[in-house]
Amino acid sequence: MVNLSLFGMLRRSLVHRRARSVSALVAMTVSAGVATALLTLYADLDAKLHKEFRSFGANVVVTGPASAPLRPDALARVQEAAGPDAVAAEFAYAVATTDTGTPVVVAGTDFAAVKRLDSWWQVDAWPEASAMDVALLGQRAAQFVGNEHAVALTYAGHTATVNGAGRIKTGGDEDSRIYMPLAAFTRWTGVGPSVIELQVPGGAAKVEATMTRLRQDFPEMQIQPVRQLVEGESKIVDRTHALMYGAVILIALTVAVSVLATLSASVLERRRDFALMKALGGSQVQLMGMFLMETLVLALAGVAVGFVVGSAAAWAISEGNFHTATLPHLSVLPLVLLLNVVIAAMAALFPARVLRGLQPAALLKGE
Amino acid sequence: MFFRLLMESFRRQRRRKMLAGIAILLGTTAVTAMLALATTIGDRIHKELAVYGANIVVYPKADLLAVKVGGVDVKPASGGAYLKESDLEKLKTIFWANNITGISPELDWKGNASRQADPELFSPIKDLAGKAHFVLDKNHLPSPEALATTPALVKGLWFDHSFGGLRTGAPQLHPWWHLRGSWPVMSKGIAETTEAVIGEKFADKLSLKVGDTFTVMTPSLYKASLSNTFSVTGIVSTGDGTDDLVLIPLQYAQFLVGREDTVSRVDISARTKPEDAFARVDPDSLPPKQREIWYCRPYANSIAYQIREAIPGAQAEQVRRVEQSEGNVLKRISGLMWLISAAALLAAGFAVSAAMATAILERRGEIGLMRSLGASKGSIALLFYAEAGLLALIAGTLGYLLGSGLAAWLGARIFAGDGGVAESVLIPVLLPVVVALALIVAIAGSTPSIRTALRMEPSAILRADA
Repeated sequence: MVNLSLFGMLRRSLVHRRARSVSALVAMTVSAGVATALLTLYADLDAKLHKEFRSFGANVVVTGPASAPLRPDALARVQEAAGPDAVAAEFAYAVATTDTGTPVVVAGTDFAAVKRLDSWWQVDAWPEASAMDVALLGQRAAQFVGNEHAVALTYAGHTATVNGAGRIKTGGDEDSRIYMPLAAFTRWTGVGPSVIELQVPGGAAKVEATMTRLRQDFPEMQIQPVRQLVEGESKIVDRTHALMYGAVILIALTVAVSVLATLSASVLERRRDFALMKALGGSQVQLMGMFLMETLVLALAGVAVGFVVGSAAAWAISEGNFHTATLPHLSVLPLVLLLNVVIAAMAALFPARVLRGLQPAALLKGE
Repeated sequence: MFFRLLMESFRRQRRRKMLAGIAILLGTTAVTAMLALATTIGDRIHKELAVYGANIVVYPKADLLAVKVGGVDVKPASGGAYLKESDLEKLKTIFWANNITGISPELDWKGNASRQADPELFSPIKDLAGKAHFVLDKNHLPSPEALATTPALVKGLWFDHSFGGLRTGAPQLHPWWHLRGSWPVMSKGIAETTEAVIGEKFADKLSLKVGDTFTVMTPSLYKASLSNTFSVTGIVSTGDGTDDLVLIPLQYAQFLVGREDTVSRVDISARTKPEDAFARVDPDSLPPKQREIWYCRPYANSIAYQIREAIPGAQAEQVRRVEQSEGNVLKRISGLMWLISAAALLAAGFAVSAAMATAILERRGEIGLMRSLGASKGSIALLFYAEAGLLALIAGTLGYLLGSGLAAWLGARIFAGDGGVAESVLIPVLLPVVVALALIVAIAGSTPSIRTALRMEPSAILRADA
């Protein structure tokens, strides 16, 4: 008689019943894959959502003391204090008169920064960064302008003529304003920037922390949150987070129980093997260990394949939905492993317990 | 005979049926719950996104240019154009009227505020509407400077106004306003004071607190020596320009400046479909059929277009900061939900077909026996498919009910406390979809094992099993 080692028995059991092994392996792979995909997405969810919320624009407004102009280096210092992720743009305002005699708010700013900050602005054509005498006209302001390509604006006796490069459409206050490059604006009016709009990525806690830091660094400036943005963002991210959490638990549970049912059915079906081994003198512990080993091997193989498949699925989902890739998170691996091992152990031990009370002779006789 | 076989199989092999049944039940539960959540997520997130305020703004077309910096009117326009408040009723008749979830009209004007002036200078008179006003006794008229101390911007708004079936107004459209005290109510009958809510900066300026009174004189009626006394029912903190305002009921604001039935601006919150390329086209440039499609889609642009049509002299615009960004966020979150639903579907499909395959595999002995007793391959396959189908039907329906309940419970738990009643998530359309999916998956899952079992020699199966 060939001396069968435990390993040999395991290998034969897996190879001999190939169909069953494959179906168990598929089940374990699916459970590991789903767990990996969901956990990977879940781990990245907050960062992804906060990124989406950046399209709402500035969530912190920094103004100089009592409308006095900001110090020339204010923007650089605010940017430095807020971190490299934050987007900041400075604005200078003056009320000028158009060539038709209507008072209009003229704002000086850096178009490149505004383009990044206020992505909702609908602008026909952003002016060239280097151009000086260009302006963007708010769609309502444009109606009060004689010639859009040579807008004559008067402020405190000084007249500037700017070329309207395009129109802005926002549905907000911007529609009634004229925007021009800050340098040209300051040269014309002598008014320096008075407001910095700052976009701090992250939730309420991060915005709050940044504001506290800014208040410490610049005690003379007024630092105010755009409250609806800060409050709303955290609320929605929390809700989505909770929803995702519910979904993850629900799906993981479903898959786990289905896999458990499948696996334990296939183990239960092998009571004849069980009885034979018992009749040949195997102890209860040996037999349970045998079953356990078998399902654990399948579970580990399932984790290996499932992690790859699941990470790919998470990558595809976030590429398709958020247009940014989610890289595989090795940190989810222990949890996935744990989940699969628990399922496997339960699937092996539950039938083994049921079979313990059976008489091998009765089983082998077919009763 | 066929039915007896079917019934007996269910009666006798309860454990095996249970396992496959549980797999199908759980799978359909998860899929139903995810699909139910995914289909309702749009509305729910829209409700959440309402914290960003109105996404459509309506103002008079002929209005003067606003001169606003940082939300504060630098040069409040005198005169200008107005819309009629009574025209707002027409909003109920537009195509997408049901998508309008909040309306907040406003009328603002500038006056001069002072702490409660010496009451002896005033004598109350009643106006035509029966309201009492304090009129300056001209014999004791002090210099205007002594009374008018602080410029005050007064804004008339709706507070908990009934509009069709909707209770709406400024507080509903500005959930980030924090109020200490209560919102003002229109006093019925004669009242000596008007209830008002003041912004916190304004309160600081006049050192007012809840319960205090102050007077505001309106420029246009100053000549008639009519002034009004406001009692502070609440102090509001908004974090924007509204902190400097005095908020009073709209009707009163209209009356005080003699502009009954006028509003200067209306904020509207509407449920919209995120903008796509088609939404951006100019509807008037489209052929009639295309225009009809454009018109009948709840884009912010089409709702604004319909509002322009309904209200004469009105210009309606989407507030792009809110609308565009909301659309973005909404698209991402519901996209995520749909993708996860798809993942759930896939996973449940795999789990169910694996369970079905195992269930058939276990019963190879039975198949061998039936074959050796002379049953044709077709009738055996039919029996097994009928079993799988019946199981899918029963477990699928149960799973649908369970999943709907779960979705309602999850939705209510997660989105609790925004005033939204936990609506039932029993979506009838999902029932056939889910049951059909369960059927397909169960049958597809059992097919390979049935085929393998049928291909084997009956004697071989029976011998292997013996």
